[in-house]
Amino acid sequence: MNTEKQAERAHRRLHRQSLFKNCAWLAAGILLLLWMPCLAQQAPKPDPAGIATGDRTTAVDGAGNAFVVSEPTDKTAPGYEKSKKDFDEYQAQAAKEPLATKLADSVGHIRLATNFAWTLNTGYLVLFMQAGFALLTCGLVRKKNAGHLMMLNFAAYVFAFLAYYAVGFAFQFGAVAINAAPTNLGGIPTLNSFLLGSGSWGFLGGKGFFLTGPGYDSGVNVLMLFQVVFMETAGYIIVGAICERITFWAFLVAELFMGALLYPIFGCWVWGGGWLSQIGSTMNLGHGYVDFAGSTVVHAIGGFAAMALALILGPRLGKYGPDGKPRAFPAHNLVFVVTGTFILLFGWMGFNPGSTLGATDLRISVVAVNTNLAAVAGSATAMLLWYRLFGKPDITMACNGMLAGLVAITAPCAFVSATSSIVIGVLAGMVVCAGVLFNDRVTKIDDPCGAISVHGFCGWLGAVSVGIFADGTYGAGWNGVGAASYLGQAGKGVTGLLYGDSRQFLGQLFGATLCVVWAFGMTFVVFKIVNAIKPIRVSEEVEREGLDVPQFGLPAYPEDAVHASAMHATQ
Amino acid sequence: MKKIEAVIQPFKLDEVKAALIAIGVSGMTIAEVRGHGRQKGHTEVYRGTEYAVDLIPKVKLELFVPDARLEEIVLAISSAAHTGKIGDGKIFVFPVDDAVRIRNGERGDIAL
Repeated sequence: MNTEKQAERAHRRLHRQSLFKNCAWLAAGILLLLWMPCLAQQAPKPDPAGIATGDRTTAVDGAGNAFVVSEPTDKTAPGYEKSKKDFDEYQAQAAKEPLATKLADSVGHIRLATNFAWTLNTGYLVLFMQAGFALLTCGLVRKKNAGHLMMLNFAAYVFAFLAYYAVGFAFQFGAVAINAAPTNLGGIPTLNSFLLGSGSWGFLGGKGFFLTGPGYDSGVNVLMLFQVVFMETAGYIIVGAICERITFWAFLVAELFMGALLYPIFGCWVWGGGWLSQIGSTMNLGHGYVDFAGSTVVHAIGGFAAMALALILGPRLGKYGPDGKPRAFPAHNLVFVVTGTFILLFGWMGFNPGSTLGATDLRISVVAVNTNLAAVAGSATAMLLWYRLFGKPDITMACNGMLAGLVAITAPCAFVSATSSIVIGVLAGMVVCAGVLFNDRVTKIDDPCGAISVHGFCGWLGAVSVGIFADGTYGAGWNGVGAASYLGQAGKGVTGLLYGDSRQFLGQLFGATLCVVWAFGMTFVVFKIVNAIKPIRVSEEVEREGLDVPQFGLPAYPEDAVHASAMHATQ
Repeated sequence: MKKIEAVIQPFKLDEVKAALIAIGVSGMTIAEVRGHGRQKGHTEVYRGTEYAVDLIPKVKLELFVPDARLEEIVLAISSAAHTGKIGDGKIFVFPVDDAVRIRNGERGDIAL
């Protein structure tokens, strides 16, 4: 009996022990499960208030050397001894001067604050370009379509903005921290995963949808503001080629397509750390595909999407006579055209210098001057060329020439000298003149405002110009290439054909041409389908009357005496 | 009573008006018009494409005058609008049956 009890007790103890063991395992499992999301959240936390953004780690000198020296981890790495010594020295100094490290927290914060202010304010300048483009395109068309042009420019801003906020921004920059972290803005660490692809072969960003979660961060919002107005630029470029005949609903579809897909995907490849930016390391093509402020990412995307749409729409009624010869539809307001062009030039002072994403990058002065030089060189070329060809300088072509120079310098502005900027501007001025005549007489793609020539052709030219004229003085370590030295020289940046890097030229040629194929091809396919479902062009009667009243219910200039009396008569 | 329609160069309007006021003409109606006569305009180039400017801007004056003053007024207009070059314009004279002043119903020459 006693032994029986003992045996039972022993059995129970054993049972208890195993139960305890099982419970322990279960608890460990649950803990692990609970801990796993924490593992995922090892990713940096978003900082909506902006109080944790910018500390001693973001304090750097002019060359980008950090104040904080981090501990080298790989003992086998070359130069380990020196890195270790630097680290030890930093530790010793920090221990000796704690006030200095505290001060560095302020310096790092102020550095980011300076860059936030710069990037936001240049973004506001880019936003204002919307007004310039509205005036320019409105002035270039016939009076009966002036209201239509204003509405297109306005609606472009509204609808493309919403599309970009919802998905476009995340597609473009959702993985920016992986390969293209904007250190001037604190690195945007929360946007760190691709939806499609990974590593050097990213195709689509995957974080920051609707600006929630990882997107609800002060650094992310600076980038968002600056980038959304860039996308808007591509959005309104198409207006210039499709106006005077596209229906309003089809235009809205085009804007949603632009803001959500066409622009952000190519933008991810080049600016979001996607595969095209990495072809320097993956295919040994220089510093990868380099487009500083968007000759292709913004302008060629807009220009060639416009070309596809204009091709599908066909020329305006009466643009070509029965003999196939082009006819002129003169601009209705040259005051708008010139004012609009100057507003665009002014806005470009945000577009290009702002693309450093920081005022602490002092290359901004060179960028600003280069941008202006190309603008005036482009305009002078177009003016003089037209003077010579047709006996009179055409005001609208002088304006197109200025914009052509601006578009072409947008990609190379940070990498080239003043002389090269002038050359690029002159080339762009010639390209835009040839392009306008070529489209008018040869391809017969009707482009009322010259958008295809200005933004498409000159955008391609701009990106290729990087591969020719970049002089290696700026952009060391661009896209992760040649941080220590490049072409055998320390501190050598992006370099073009004329300065000895033919691989960069090939990379530029490839990327710029891919942009043309992407923008034209995608837009053409999508809108051929849309057009097959429902025609995207207005009826002949509407087009003859002008789109203002049939589509929007009011002429742009109702104070015209006859219009005013006609309106009263129906009341 | 006669109606005078004069189509003149726009830049001559001020001189013609001054000449008419100087001889005491009390009223006129003017309109900006476009048209062409024997000369048929010319061509311009917009963004590389030629277009015809065959309807040239002109100013048209309409005056209603008593028969007695007709010659004097026509002479005043034609001498003030004259440059001797192509495009100076033309003056037409029509007979008019009657005139009514809407305010008080006066008829004939007194209503002019």
